[in-house]
Amino acid sequence: MNRPLATRLSRLAQYGFLGALFLFIATPMLVIVVFSFDANRFPTIPWGGFSLEWHRAILDDPMIRDAFVNSVLVGLGTAIASTVLGFAAAYIDFRYRFQLKLPFVLLVAVPPAVPATILGMAMLAFLSRLGLFGRLETIMACHVAIATSFSMAIIRLRLNDLSRDLEPAAWNLGASPAAALIHVVLPFCKPALIASFFLSAAVSFDEFLIAWFVGGVHETLPVRILNLLQGQVNPKINAVGTVVLVVSVALVLLAQRFTGVRAGRRNPTS
Amino acid sequence: MTAASVTTRASALSRWSWLGRPRMAGSPAVLPAVLGLPVLLWQAVFFAAPLVFLVVVTFWQVKAFRLEPAFVLDNWSRILFSATFQRALVHTFAVAGTTTVLAVALAFPAAYTIAFRLSPRMRDLVVAFLVVPVFSSYMLRIYAWQIVLSPEGMINALLGLTGVGPLPLLGGAFSLQVGLLTLTLPIAVLILVFAMAGIDRTLIEAAENLGCRRARVIMHVIAPSVRPAIMLSATTSFLLAFGDYVSPLFMTGSKPPTLSILIVDTVKSGSQWPRASVIGVAMLVMLALVLGIGQWLSSGRTARRGAAR
Repeated sequence: MNRPLATRLSRLAQYGFLGALFLFIATPMLVIVVFSFDANRFPTIPWGGFSLEWHRAILDDPMIRDAFVNSVLVGLGTAIASTVLGFAAAYIDFRYRFQLKLPFVLLVAVPPAVPATILGMAMLAFLSRLGLFGRLETIMACHVAIATSFSMAIIRLRLNDLSRDLEPAAWNLGASPAAALIHVVLPFCKPALIASFFLSAAVSFDEFLIAWFVGGVHETLPVRILNLLQGQVNPKINAVGTVVLVVSVALVLLAQRFTGVRAGRRNPTS
Repeated sequence: MTAASVTTRASALSRWSWLGRPRMAGSPAVLPAVLGLPVLLWQAVFFAAPLVFLVVVTFWQVKAFRLEPAFVLDNWSRILFSATFQRALVHTFAVAGTTTVLAVALAFPAAYTIAFRLSPRMRDLVVAFLVVPVFSSYMLRIYAWQIVLSPEGMINALLGLTGVGPLPLLGGAFSLQVGLLTLTLPIAVLILVFAMAGIDRTLIEAAENLGCRRARVIMHVIAPSVRPAIMLSATTSFLLAFGDYVSPLFMTGSKPPTLSILIVDTVKSGSQWPRASVIGVAMLVMLALVLGIGQWLSSGRTARRGAAR
């Protein structure tokens, strides 16, 4: 019986497969970063030597600078608004029971599942009738409608760990429901609120179809990249891409830092 | 407002409530209303209303490039019976179906390795690594694949060194699937990892003690317990691939067009909002159907297994 050998081979195949999968996921990100420092105009092998030329070029491009500022403004606004709304939705789901609760939760949870092309077109058609077309605030409002879903999920997960008796205890000691919410529930949710802030900023910073539909002349950074991509090969794209990549990866990592979500938490051993 | 005043007011209220609660009838509803109404309004105006309006617009007319309220079925019949739409529909279903099968088939063994072969520390790292692409820079990563796969790109440059001629990697079904798997694989793996990590290990040990080989354990213990997660990762992959706009645009140059491409083209060319809306509403109906079938499959199967026991 050569069972151990077969087991070893099988393990090797499993790790090999996993490695290949990670390579597949990591390659595009590495390619963007590596070629942004390439002196060649067209990114290919062999590498044309190290250069900061394209990074300098994007600093001199007023459209890219404006787009960056727009993205930061929209991202900040989205992060604040969707964290506030997401907390409210999560708390209502946690604390209250009422008819039509399921439709309420679905109204918040579903938006990311609707293809952005359709949602963007619908938002443009409807909001332009209200005279809201082509404003930064409109991009933000639409991003909030999507990002609140993630905020609610993160905060609701945290509320699962809040003892059901803690708030009633505060009420018995004389706190009003609002006081208990502010002094007991909010502090408990702090890590989830921070995580939700960063994650919704990341969602907004990465979104381009809705921003493209409803933004009009106001371009966010991903929309600028989309427009650059539809033109001819432009070596600036890799440099802008690196900036976007670094910002959005940093936001997601920060968000993860503050969520306690771990695979396998439910194992009896841990 | 000081904490003390809040406290006295609250204790006054609780004393009142003890005496037959004359004022408590209205007050408990204030807090949920204050919290809930803004959320409700925001989602209604910026999410629900646009979608409802989309359905309404499908019955409107465009006259002299202006959208005018009407009730005509013309848009529906024109789109649903047009050969372009039907071809795009079949193509989109085929593409999204292929992605779904590939994503689940590739994700399952990967998730198995992550959940059962890695140490908890490594598993956390891997999960963190997989979450990043779910929320970041999808469009850029597709652009990067364009660089890698293009005729003058990295892979063909490497192949050129070995003497193999440039392969037409970009612009076909292969590159389209590469793009769509870039979108779907991380989340498909994550869903399965979370489900597998939650399996009761004693079940697996019991099967092994009874002499089950690994393959049988996977087939008869692991796969059935994560069946809902398999359906979830399949429907999620389908949803993402079905509605995606970026991969078809950059990996195949929109040829043949998918439904998303068709929507944007219809909007761009001559402000045909009603017809674009018909395509959008049709897509949403089909997605809802697919998700419903997925739900029914995962719950129906479990119920039957439960009944058989």
